[in-house]
Amino acid sequence: MRDMLKMILVLSLICGLSGLTLATVRQATRPRIEEQVMTYVQGPALRQIFPDCENNPVKDRKTFDASTGKVTVFPAMKGGKLEGVALETFGKGYGGPIGIMVGFSTDGDTLKGIGITTLKETPGLGQRITEPEFRDQFRGHTTREVALSKSGGDIAAVSGATISSTGTVGAINDAIKIFQQIKERLRTSWGS
Amino acid sequence: MSTLWKEFSKGLWTDLPPFKLVLGLCPTLAVTKTAYNGFGMGVAVIFVLALSNLLVSLLRKVIPAKVRIACFIVVAASLVVCVELLMQAYAYPLYQQLGIFVPLIVVNCIILGRAEAFASKNPILLSVADGLGMGLGYTLALTFLGSLRELFGYGTWFGMQVMGGWYEPFTFMVEAPGAFVCLGLILAGMNALTNWQRRSKGLAPVQGPGHDCKSCGMCACKE
Repeated sequence: MRDMLKMILVLSLICGLSGLTLATVRQATRPRIEEQVMTYVQGPALRQIFPDCENNPVKDRKTFDASTGKVTVFPAMKGGKLEGVALETFGKGYGGPIGIMVGFSTDGDTLKGIGITTLKETPGLGQRITEPEFRDQFRGHTTREVALSKSGGDIAAVSGATISSTGTVGAINDAIKIFQQIKERLRTSWGS
Repeated sequence: MSTLWKEFSKGLWTDLPPFKLVLGLCPTLAVTKTAYNGFGMGVAVIFVLALSNLLVSLLRKVIPAKVRIACFIVVAASLVVCVELLMQAYAYPLYQQLGIFVPLIVVNCIILGRAEAFASKNPILLSVADGLGMGLGYTLALTFLGSLRELFGYGTWFGMQVMGGWYEPFTFMVEAPGAFVCLGLILAGMNALTNWQRRSKGLAPVQGPGHDCKSCGMCACKE
């Protein structure tokens, strides 16, 4: 009986202590991990969209309230002026969610381009949405209508990857909707 | 002092974890695409192994024998999660490369093996020396294997160009089968070296593992 009690006591104590330690470490590293994920996951996508911006969009990011929840917006500055903004949305892909960073011009009339942040699609098919051939169709495209050619738009889907292409376009349209909601607030948020 | 050094140094050659004990092979094969990845994995293992040996040795009189394995696993798992969080916070690119193999350190036989076979029976200082030695041996072994594969597979070493422009990279080496072939050749080399040493001392050559099974302590062949 005593042995039994000791076993329970020791094991619970060790587990409790380990839980406490882990909670502390997690709390202490959380802000830094968030910063690192932004730099290494969102950072490269942002550089694809705004290759010549002069600030660090990840560092200057701000959060806004939209109808879908909080949205993080990344600004790109050039010569002290806001050149464009980008925000990340997710579309439904074949192998999981596809994360798309969508860049807008400051007035919101044209897309500055897209960058892929999260992608688990089939290599050789869905993965090809990262290729310039598909991606560059969005650079300078109007935000009024973004649709695949089979549904009456002018975006050519990656052949054999309809789901991935549709997911990407869906994510971009979500981003446009969010952008329209927060458009007025964006103008004044980074000076100019 | 001499016992301390003995416990520390056995991990560097006589009980070298991946090549002599043939333990911890999953990360050995999976993450050694480049020397840097192998090194990073090794450092994570040093941290976990030294601290888990320290804690297990500290708690060895408190932990009841019947639940010892559960306790060791809790200790090792907590340390591994700490390493994972710290690596995400301070070395994110390395974390992206190692991926799932960082959390998998917890099922690495070396950690549990050393806790069971050494730390639970020895004083604190000796246990830490043992953990550091084994960890360092593991790091050196992984860095060596990683160097070999990176050198032939990419023509670089720690990211620096080593081979000249004439070198056609032998991509097979950085693929999974290359890891098996490399490890096999290294093990064969180690065995040949051991037997050559024994023969020059006038002893009969041995077959199979040269270490005694006590150094692992995890399998049925212990007593």
